[in-house]
Amino acid sequence: MNDDDDQNARNDRARRMRNVALALVLGALVVLFFVMTIVRLKGHVFDWQ
Amino acid sequence: MATAASFALNPRAATVGDFFALLKPRVMSLVIFTALAGIIVAPGGIDPVVAFTALLCIAVGAGASGALNMAYDSDIDGLMSRTATRPIPMGKIARGDALGFGWTLSAGAVTIMGLFVNLAAAALLAFSIVFYVGIYTLWLKRRTAQNIVIGGLAGALPPAIGWAAVTGSLSLAPLVLVLITFLWTPPHFWALALYRSDDYARAGVPMMPVVKGKASTRKQILGYALVLFPVGLLPGAIGLAGPLYVSAAALFGAWFVWEAVAVWRETDVAHEPAARRLFGVSILYLFVLFAALIVERLMGIAPLGHATFGAWM
Repeated sequence: MNDDDDQNARNDRARRMRNVALALVLGALVVLFFVMTIVRLKGHVFDWQ
Repeated sequence: MATAASFALNPRAATVGDFFALLKPRVMSLVIFTALAGIIVAPGGIDPVVAFTALLCIAVGAGASGALNMAYDSDIDGLMSRTATRPIPMGKIARGDALGFGWTLSAGAVTIMGLFVNLAAAALLAFSIVFYVGIYTLWLKRRTAQNIVIGGLAGALPPAIGWAAVTGSLSLAPLVLVLITFLWTPPHFWALALYRSDDYARAGVPMMPVVKGKASTRKQILGYALVLFPVGLLPGAIGLAGPLYVSAAALFGAWFVWEAVAVWRETDVAHEPAARRLFGVSILYLFVLFAALIVERLMGIAPLGHATFGAWM
């Protein structure tokens, strides 16, 4: 394997890991928005009943 | 093996770890800790999920400020040995990518704080980010020896943001915590600057030892340490903290002053051992004070009353 192949493999791996990290962050944001919405509803809507 | 040169030619190799390093995780950990203290000692209750979200926003906002600082200062970071290995001067991350990363995280942290916690905390978080990036990084850092004195306000605000996340307001008590960190910042950074003064001089950053000389810096470090000692005891005087905190503040405050005196009397200007010790003790001092506040509250031995002196916001 020459230096270019080595570099390309490193780039691919780095990009893959960046994409995984971004997916995890976006997933965490979805969960955060859902949970926070429920928490805020609990204080302002559910308590009415 | 990847070298700095190979990364410099190919910033596409940036790893997740490189982006994480942009967030200045060590600084972020101290910010999280002081903000947590603000949340815990604030009067009234807060839903644990909301508290976690507030802490997350403060952490991300602080990290984003760090990333923006590294982006705007990448030219001088490359000239100093302490910062030359940061991702941008190493060529691992393009400056524009870091700017986009930092501003996106800043906007996200402030927006989520405003949506899910409250507007007062969001406004304070936005102010601290803008102050750190706009006032300190872009304006003061390269122009005045008072850069870290005034800029230190941004790093001192997290306890107040944490407090505002719980109460939706500000009062005297959180501002006392801000004042402690504000007065702690100059001796902390000037201790570092004393043994890194060649670095700062090479980069043209007007830190106090470079502009006013080491003798003047030593006197000012001692002056700030002497003022910080009684201010560190103030939470006890206003009913925010109890005997555990006051004992810790007295003991570690005295140690801080002792080391500042050693810096003032230092003769080994080549290696600055006293300044290196003071730098370490200063971190310990701040950690112990805020840990004492948290422990007192969690153990239920903190004063019951709060001298909040009314809400100001």
